Amino acid sequence: MIEFQHVFKSYGRGRNILADINFRVTAGEFLFVSGASGAGKSTLLKLIGGLEPASRGSIQVNGQRLDQLSSHARPYLRRAVGVILQDTHLLFDRSALQNVMLPLAVTGQSRSSASARARAALDKVGLAGKEDMNPIELSGGEQQRLAIARAIVNRPAILIADEPTANLDQDTARRILNVFRDFNRVGVTTLIASHDHTLMAQYATRTLRLEPGKFFDSGIPHHHSPAGSASTGGQHNGDVTPGVQA
Amino acid sequence: MKSWLRLHRYALMVTLRRLAAQPFSSLANLVVMALALALPLLGAAILVSAQPVARQLSVTPEVTLFLSTAAPGGTADAVAQRIRDENADQVQQVRVIPRDEALASLRNDPTWDQALAVLPGNPLPDAVVATLTEGEQLAERADTLAQTWQQWDHVDLVQLDSAWVQRLEAILRFARAGLIFLAACVAAVVLAAVFNTVRMQAMLQREEIAVARLVGATESFVRRPFLYLGALSGALAALIAIGAAALALTPLNDALRTLAQSYGADFALHLPGLPVLAVAVIGTGILGALAARWSVTRSTRF
Repeated sequence: MIEFQHVFKSYGRGRNILADINFRVTAGEFLFVSGASGAGKSTLLKLIGGLEPASRGSIQVNGQRLDQLSSHARPYLRRAVGVILQDTHLLFDRSALQNVMLPLAVTGQSRSSASARARAALDKVGLAGKEDMNPIELSGGEQQRLAIARAIVNRPAILIADEPTANLDQDTARRILNVFRDFNRVGVTTLIASHDHTLMAQYATRTLRLEPGKFFDSGIPHHHSPAGSASTGGQHNGDVTPGVQA
Repeated sequence: MKSWLRLHRYALMVTLRRLAAQPFSSLANLVVMALALALPLLGAAILVSAQPVARQLSVTPEVTLFLSTAAPGGTADAVAQRIRDENADQVQQVRVIPRDEALASLRNDPTWDQALAVLPGNPLPDAVVATLTEGEQLAERADTLAQTWQQWDHVDLVQLDSAWVQRLEAILRFARAGLIFLAACVAAVVLAAVFNTVRMQAMLQREEIAVARLVGATESFVRRPFLYLGALSGALAALIAIGAAALALTPLNDALRTLAQSYGADFALHLPGLPVLAVAVIGTGILGALAARWSVTRSTRF
């Protein structure tokens, strides 16, 4: 589903943000990307989403090599990857419903069908009844859920989220992660960047850990305990073992 | 097909929403473009109105030979015959206007009737009018023939009757060239205005464009509303310009009609025909879309 082979990323002639990254994610996995600020988590997710090109190496997403993808084909890949960036990038000149309808408008869906699907997506993230509200009227957690609804409304195969729980209290953060787990349970491959070890520890799952100049992969994909019941057993984040070291 | 139509409808709705979001700015832009477009339209109105007048008048050079009043009878016919004999290849037609016929013709004109009544006799000479054949270097040929004929016995004066019509034609040709230049300048104004409007809109919609790309929008999807914006602005400005030009022609024509009537003529300025105006509206729309495409391609590289 996602495969990185000797991937390097630098900006201009600066130092490598990511160096010799190798990993593979299979369909339906749920994993975290952890690391301190500036370690390259956001960059890694942007590479997967095709939002940034790799400086070197090969990235394969959903069966397509990104470096061989034409600029014409790139938008179609993005439709298969739901992206939630750290800044939610919600549009404040329209309602919550219209924000969620945008990805459907992009694909030429009819207004009635788009509206029905957007309402369903809002319902799934617990925002039913808030369709007509402007995003500015929503709380931080609700805005985050709105961004998730927008990312999943096109039924993507992959969902990537950059620090979706940053600046949220523990309860809200757990609820947001449970939303992701729900989507993962229906087969959506999910990658979440976070530096909140306490929160990640509640989900026994594979973790890709980035440190300056180093990359660790906890390795074994895990299938999890039921959503919402954060597992404390089995392999957890503290057990991450070095993968390919840069 | 349905999906394609929906994408276009969506783009059109986005364009109208963006125009409506800044009504004063949008209107000011349209007015600036419309005023610029009204100038060549008024120029075209003058040209299309003046051209038929010029066409009604003969531009084929006619040379009139006025004979001396002392010339013996039959001289006019002799001169006419000599022209036919010596310049058959250069002359299309020769006719004689006897002095009595000329006087009778003048007497039919009330303006001249009273003046002629006080004269003791007929002051007019016999005249011979030679219509030249069309062809290369007509003006020079007419000048040469006039100079030759001027030397003949009993010829008092030789006059090139159609010189002023040719001058009018030359002026109209110059005006047409000027109008093309003016239209090109106005096209540049429209181009610049639409380019700038789209650039400003693209900057305002930066976040929306970024989000649209994030969720899988193609570049066509991103550009389409701006192309509609350019095309609509151009076409609307052209329509306003036509309205403004028609409005401006009303008082102009009132004044012009009074002036023309004092000369016993009926003349009014009118806009070019509907097909030409339709081409102008569509052409300006296309020009606006092209300017928008150029602008949006440059302004959305982020």
